[in-house]
Amino acid sequence: MTTKTHRSPVSEFRLLTMPLVVFLLVFLGFPAIVNLVYSVSSVSFETLRSPEITGFGNFADVWRDGTFWRASWFSFRFGLLTAILECALGLFLAIFLAPLIERRSWLMAILMLPLMVAPALVGLMYRLVLHEFAGPVPYYLWAWFGASLSFLGPGSAFWTLVTVETLQWTPFAFLLFYMAYQAIPREIVEASAMDGARYRHRLWYIELPLMMPTIVVALLIRFIDGFRVFDNVYVLTGSGPGGSTASLSIYIYEAFFKQGAIGKAVAASVVLFIASFVVLYGLNAIAARRKGAAR
Amino acid sequence: MINILRWIVFAIAAVAMNFPIIVTLVTSFKSPRELTANPGLWVQAPTLENYAAVFTVSDRLNIFLYLVNSLAVAALGTLLAVGLALPAAYAIARGKVGERTLLPLIVNLRAVPLVIFAIPLYMMFQWLSLLDTRLGLGLILTIVNLPLALVILVNAIRDLPGELDEAALMDGATRTQILLRVIAPLCRPAIVTGLIFGFITAWNEFLFGLMLTTSKAVPITVGASFFFAASGGGVQWGVASAVMIVGALPPMLLGLLMYRQISGSMTAGAVKG
Repeated sequence: MTTKTHRSPVSEFRLLTMPLVVFLLVFLGFPAIVNLVYSVSSVSFETLRSPEITGFGNFADVWRDGTFWRASWFSFRFGLLTAILECALGLFLAIFLAPLIERRSWLMAILMLPLMVAPALVGLMYRLVLHEFAGPVPYYLWAWFGASLSFLGPGSAFWTLVTVETLQWTPFAFLLFYMAYQAIPREIVEASAMDGARYRHRLWYIELPLMMPTIVVALLIRFIDGFRVFDNVYVLTGSGPGGSTASLSIYIYEAFFKQGAIGKAVAASVVLFIASFVVLYGLNAIAARRKGAAR
Repeated sequence: MINILRWIVFAIAAVAMNFPIIVTLVTSFKSPRELTANPGLWVQAPTLENYAAVFTVSDRLNIFLYLVNSLAVAALGTLLAVGLALPAAYAIARGKVGERTLLPLIVNLRAVPLVIFAIPLYMMFQWLSLLDTRLGLGLILTIVNLPLALVILVNAIRDLPGELDEAALMDGATRTQILLRVIAPLCRPAIVTGLIFGFITAWNEFLFGLMLTTSKAVPITVGASFFFAASGGGVQWGVASAVMIVGALPPMLLGLLMYRQISGSMTAGAVKG
């Protein structure tokens, strides 16, 4: 799709990107520089405007901080588990419910509804849902089984959060997979049915391979969003019990706002910044090479 | 037979995924007395007193302020994001300017934990006196909205035939004129989708609202939690539920009305981004 549009000078195109570029420089470029400078400085709320460059002490602090590693492990585990659960459930729902939804698309609106609600509000809602006196879940557990769980207690808080996140974001995976499933050319499916392929063979050898790129993308997006989780975890458990549910985002937030450890918080931000860009550009490069190879 | 099974699975999924919304909606109609006696999923004597309490302005709590703040910052964050993204998207799609640098940079922004920019932005806003202002929060929400707006618009412009531009160039139009008079009108569906999407995202944002506002510019996602600690004693769950429903309703209604556009662009943003 190359268009012969080089008649007008490229500079007018450049001009059109300028507002965006300037905006990015001010609101991302400047903060990135502040991050880099402050991460190698000694700074407190009193000396905020005059940081004193002192070297890599802040990074050493972060490196030695057990809480940082604990938060990294939480984020990684949380992102991985929720991504896999959401995609597995979403894939099942997309394929199994497709015949219903093809004829009644409004059913999709019902399944999409959780995506429209702020994760922070969903987290607050679960405080009600799981509340030991006012919440229906403990109430029904007592009524039916004579026992309930301490959902936000030390042993179960992690799994409660995984469930909360999974229930809210499975619709996202479902939606992606449903669209991909609908995009499979009917001729392919019909031809294989004509050849006598059984339903589960057709699913396994034809439909799932065709959906594979979408599955990879969905896993990736959900992993990233789970890894950087903040809102629902923050309002449900804070970081408790005993710091066991602090994600990296919460770690940085608390280091800055609660402990006033600006240097440490900024150094952790820089680590996360570099790590995410290395990973993302790596993935982009792999995707580009694949595309090139396929061509 | 299998269709009955499908309906059962659908019902279970719909209830499980929407469970917190259902519980909150039911609880918002319970009187304080009923709440202590009946935490179940039905209401014996529905009442609107919780909503009345939510909409009563006190010196500490003002739901109207939070709602107007959310509306204002979401509108600013959405319009500005689309306004910045549209000319850039045109340059990327037609002029191949920034296709290898600007586009991947912004698309990757979607995946970066935004908390890493939170601290320097907090300091910067302190210097610029933008803390606790709608303008400040709206500017940040623009960053949050940019990636998806740009991807949606680049895809939309790429789908338009290049001959349109050719013809207009022949007539002596400049690129800016083509963008405003030819491309923008044709991209209206994509622009509308970008606006809806951005509005929902911005309305639901929490982290920056929590960090950058304290009283004057507090959005509803942050303000809702104020109601949890409103009275000296425990949480008044009826009132808390009512405020959560009020806060969740605008994006939910928008989502229900526009679910076709949203589902389509969510896929586009995910797959092509």
